[in-house]
Amino acid sequence: MSQLNYRTINIDVLDPESSVNFPMVTLLPPNLPPPETSSDAANVANQVRQLLRSGDSEGALRHVLDTAPLGGDDRAKEVHMAAVIDVLQGIRQSEMTRVLEGVCSGEGGSERADCLMKYLYKGMSSPGPSSGAQSPHKSMSPQSTGGFSQIQARNLGEGGGGQQMSVLLSWHEKLVELTGTGSIVRVMTDRRTV
Amino acid sequence: MSQSLRPYLQCVRASLTAALALSDFASQTSERHNVPEIEAQSSPELLLNPLTISRNENEKVLIEPSVNSVRLSIRIKQSDEIEHILVHKFTRFLTQRAESFFILRRKPVKGYDISFLVCNAHTEAMLKHKLVDFIIQFMEEVDKEISEMKLFLNARARFVAESFLTPFD
Repeated sequence: MSQLNYRTINIDVLDPESSVNFPMVTLLPPNLPPPETSSDAANVANQVRQLLRSGDSEGALRHVLDTAPLGGDDRAKEVHMAAVIDVLQGIRQSEMTRVLEGVCSGEGGSERADCLMKYLYKGMSSPGPSSGAQSPHKSMSPQSTGGFSQIQARNLGEGGGGQQMSVLLSWHEKLVELTGTGSIVRVMTDRRTV
Repeated sequence: MSQSLRPYLQCVRASLTAALALSDFASQTSERHNVPEIEAQSSPELLLNPLTISRNENEKVLIEPSVNSVRLSIRIKQSDEIEHILVHKFTRFLTQRAESFFILRRKPVKGYDISFLVCNAHTEAMLKHKLVDFIIQFMEEVDKEISEMKLFLNARARFVAESFLTPFD
């Protein structure tokens, strides 16, 4: 006890009135959908993949954005995100504008657009699942110095996940054309993360 | 400009324009102070959700917005060890002269090569779209600069090696 340096303790954390302990739950709206588990998310993902296989890409995107697990746990969100990425990758570049216009119109269209924008940023912030398998031989640069290198954790090379990122980036461009920067602002300020 | 660079920069431009909506905000913890909330991290409700934009695993931008400041961190492409050294030297050169760049942060955020910190004072004194243009132009130029430096370095190394080995010819 005697070695404990009291000057290094952040006393604000211990004060319930302090602004550091602002109750973040009060920022969530009361009409949040009920929490979902990962098995619910997996069910939705199956339905969406069926829709996608049957060729109804617009319906698939609409459904997957309407059922976003805003109140779910992390596992459910991960499963759902994989489904969203699958749908986005399954739609061809030439069809993007048509599908987006369909999805962002009608009732709840702007909510779907905001939700899609959240998923685009989330998809870019997390490394793609496919890149993990490729990275071992990709990280080996052609002029690798082999045993000479003393620094290990540098991960050089072109970097995996480029394919998925370019799909997300072109979706982002199309979506911004349609909704403007407003939906990006709503992604930043909305505490209901996906 | 290459085909995949354009949507990347376009995405950064749109996100940065959205994030640079800053207002004056006095500190809630200490009276008569006014600090960038993204650095102080003193109240969680003032920090907004961070945005990541990536072109691939080694090229990304992190935008951390808050009520009165935005922190933007860039990870510059490094495809081999020479480029890693060049990027390190280049960013070091810039950050040592940070006060003449106004928005440059002296130390990059962990995992990134260079960081900028834009406060509400900057958006009041400078034009917002010019600030965005500056960042985008920086990102365009830096890749070009690094690959140019690498070419010069190789050319110089070849010349040095040749003149060193002439006596043994």
